[in-house]
Amino acid sequence: MSSESIKVTINGSDYQVEKGARLIDVCRSNGHAVPSFCYYSDLALQASCRTCLVRIEKMPKLQTSCTITCTDGMIVTTESDEIEKARRGMVEFLLANHPLDCPVCDRGGECELQEMVFDWGGLEERFRERKNYAPEKYLSPVVANDPQRCILCKRCTRVCDEWMGEDAIEAGGRGVNTVIGTYGGWLNCSQCGNCIEVCPTGTLLDGTYRHQARPWELEQTITTCTFCSDGCQMSLGSRGGEVMRAVARDRYVNGINGEFLCIKGRFAHPFVNHEERLRTPMIRYRKGGKLIPATWDQALEFAANKLRETADAHGAEAIGVVGSPRITNEANYALLKFANEVVGTSNYTATDRFSLAPFFESLGAGLATHRDIRFAKTIVLVGGEPEELQPLTGKQIRQAVRNGGAKLIVINSRAIRLQQQAAQFIHIRPGAEDAAVLALADERFDELAAKKLGVDASELSTARGTVLDTEGNCIIMFGGELSPAAQSLLAQIPHAASTDKRRFLFHPLPLYNNSVGAHDIGLMGGAHTASSLLGAAGAEIRALYVAGSFLPDHLRGQEEALSKLDLLIVQELFETETTRYADVVLPAASFAETDGTFTNNDGLVQRVRASIPPAHQSKPDWMITAALAQTLGMDFNFQMSASTVFRELAERTTAYNGMRYPLLKDETKPVQAKHAIAPRRDLADEIEALRLSIESLDETAEKIMGTPPVGHELFKPGELTGKVPQFHLLAAGNPKPPDVLISPLYQITIDAGLRRTDEAVAVAGD
Amino acid sequence: MSIISDIIDSTKAIIKGMSITLAQIPKEKWTVQYPDDPVTLQPRYRGQHLLHVDELGREKCVACFLCAAACPSDCIYIIADDDPRPEEERIGVDERYAKIYNIDYGRCIFCGYCVEACPKDAITHGYNFELSVYTRADLLKTKDDLLITKQKQSPNYRVAFSDEDVDSEYKEI
Repeated sequence: MSSESIKVTINGSDYQVEKGARLIDVCRSNGHAVPSFCYYSDLALQASCRTCLVRIEKMPKLQTSCTITCTDGMIVTTESDEIEKARRGMVEFLLANHPLDCPVCDRGGECELQEMVFDWGGLEERFRERKNYAPEKYLSPVVANDPQRCILCKRCTRVCDEWMGEDAIEAGGRGVNTVIGTYGGWLNCSQCGNCIEVCPTGTLLDGTYRHQARPWELEQTITTCTFCSDGCQMSLGSRGGEVMRAVARDRYVNGINGEFLCIKGRFAHPFVNHEERLRTPMIRYRKGGKLIPATWDQALEFAANKLRETADAHGAEAIGVVGSPRITNEANYALLKFANEVVGTSNYTATDRFSLAPFFESLGAGLATHRDIRFAKTIVLVGGEPEELQPLTGKQIRQAVRNGGAKLIVINSRAIRLQQQAAQFIHIRPGAEDAAVLALADERFDELAAKKLGVDASELSTARGTVLDTEGNCIIMFGGELSPAAQSLLAQIPHAASTDKRRFLFHPLPLYNNSVGAHDIGLMGGAHTASSLLGAAGAEIRALYVAGSFLPDHLRGQEEALSKLDLLIVQELFETETTRYADVVLPAASFAETDGTFTNNDGLVQRVRASIPPAHQSKPDWMITAALAQTLGMDFNFQMSASTVFRELAERTTAYNGMRYPLLKDETKPVQAKHAIAPRRDLADEIEALRLSIESLDETAEKIMGTPPVGHELFKPGELTGKVPQFHLLAAGNPKPPDVLISPLYQITIDAGLRRTDEAVAVAGD
Repeated sequence: MSIISDIIDSTKAIIKGMSITLAQIPKEKWTVQYPDDPVTLQPRYRGQHLLHVDELGREKCVACFLCAAACPSDCIYIIADDDPRPEEERIGVDERYAKIYNIDYGRCIFCGYCVEACPKDAITHGYNFELSVYTRADLLKTKDDLLITKQKQSPNYRVAFSDEDVDSEYKEI
């Protein structure tokens, strides 16, 4: 878009606007209110509600301002008797078939139609004809639908198509008989619920929050989602110490994700108030005995004494401290401080699936924000599956390709759904992602890599050619399949390939909400990884202090490792595999009950805010660590304030220098951590190591054919999502109940074979 | 002042006062012998609330929370729920109903805003006015105390007819 500016006159005032600007945006940004329903920036134009009518000189009729592009010398009137009459007429038509059931409707109080009628509606309804009646029904376990309330703005169908690429909800019929519906009356999609969010009326509604509360009595708290590394901003609505819903509606919150949330962010919050939450601290006085509830003082005293005993008997290095990529930066920092200053051990780590340390050590370019992805020119995706594991990134990639004309190169062992958007899809053998990286970085290895990947060498050179032809931003994304050497190699590519016209940006795809933060704090830089720490349990490691839980991945093959420890202290929300052998269990506060920060895969440090007081006797993780340190005779001087912890953290962490809570206050202006750019370095060792490991790859391995179904990772119940009954229905194939007029939860017994099985546990372990 | 004039003055005063008192004796009494006799209440008297039902006995309340929102003393507490059953079997008139509906009469100021706000005419003020209890917790009335089908009406009042001149009963006769 050129930056040439043109003159537009609105209501007698002259404005200089960028050429190509949309008239409705220009009117609104200059304070001339123009109402609209169907207009939604960043979506295809619709012009069906016709409430944004304006008068443009020299045009015969009133024009819909949402479809008009500004031209030089345009003279526009947005307020006149003629326009008011037209708008009032349009609103009357919209209400012609809309039922007057606002008292029952969940949208009542935050309904755009209600607001529109307050401004533009008549006092009386002049239509006396019968309204089309259609009963309320369910479209899926999480989406409720009242077709009668629909005003046919088609925001839901556009969002479903353009954001999610699903086309699961569509308009059928013509004229007055148009209805919004699904194929087969049942919604088979990723259940993101974005259609609910953008619906301006009460047509599509949250099936889990149905008839629970009214929006005006909810306390809205802006916070960061806890389910993946995208760090979507959302607003938790709570009432009386209970989280009722999570929304991203722009009247409450305006973060990096706009109004986008995925199924986990939007519907998987009931774990916060789940009845299985740990209520009190518990102590197992005798190995193999029962966990017995205790007071905080007793539990901390017991843990401190045992820690002292272990340190005296085996030395400080026998104690391991384990953080988590799920908890806040403040909590991880407190744990690191505990390990370094209270215990004095180098055996600390976080329970992440893979470490980003090699990537950040060789980082050759900055991290991309989600906005950069949306306007990128070329996107290279090596491994990973953003649509399932980082849904916002998936949506941004899709929009970059569909609306921005970006070129997408997908290198994956599976034909993931995003490859439908790809300019080039390189279908490789499973486990061969490293070879693709080596070929991207160095053309000498094309032949070798092509042979091992099971692709033609020309495909690799075409991909490299696309990258090197890019003018603008080229974004490189990678998943957890890469080995450390391949991560370093990939991270150094910009040094060789960036020019004045081309900027490289990185977008790692870790699995957890604070994976990047756990790395930044330095918790991943300990002497052990989570798996090796378990391997050493009972030998050189005698005691573990764990925040959160080990992943099923870490425990696989060493399930009994935790039982060999002399002491295991766990702070958790629920009883897990890790608490099974714990000597002391401390109840921790969830993300909705604690203040802090998460760092997402953009490197954006975003605030987490307490929406409700901690459940039962739980406490925020950093407070527990500080209390344990206090019992051991060391005052962390955190003054019971998360901002004090963050100030100390920011002073001691290079990438976070200068950050303070006031700076992070505004979610519309997120602050990016300053990750150091590593200088160009010699990678001969890494290349040689990679070449050797690649040469040992199997050349005859079968490729994985077929596209994985939508939701194959999103719907798997994990520790947190498994607490939501809807996820069990979805994981069991989203069965259509016999009667869609009644909530599926009432009709299908989740216990009847629909509960999680061990194979169906989510990769991300949540 | 002499003693005699004092006596004359006070005797005059007593006679004046007693003449009024004695004059009332033959007149009609307007003291209501509550609780032996019922009191007469204005038709629009604002007593304890009533939750109404429709002709099929289903609760009219759809738990829209407008009464709670209008309440200036914050004394109404509602928990809404979904009633997915067919229309005839439902508790309420719609698929949304109030699972819990509490009014705290320790806080209620009987302003009538809740009645004004109700879009379904589900809540009105009744006439029960004897709300004193021995423990403060008993001031919290639940749906069972408020539903018109369940609330026990006090025998100690009668409601005046709309054309009845209630006020003059207490005025000069």
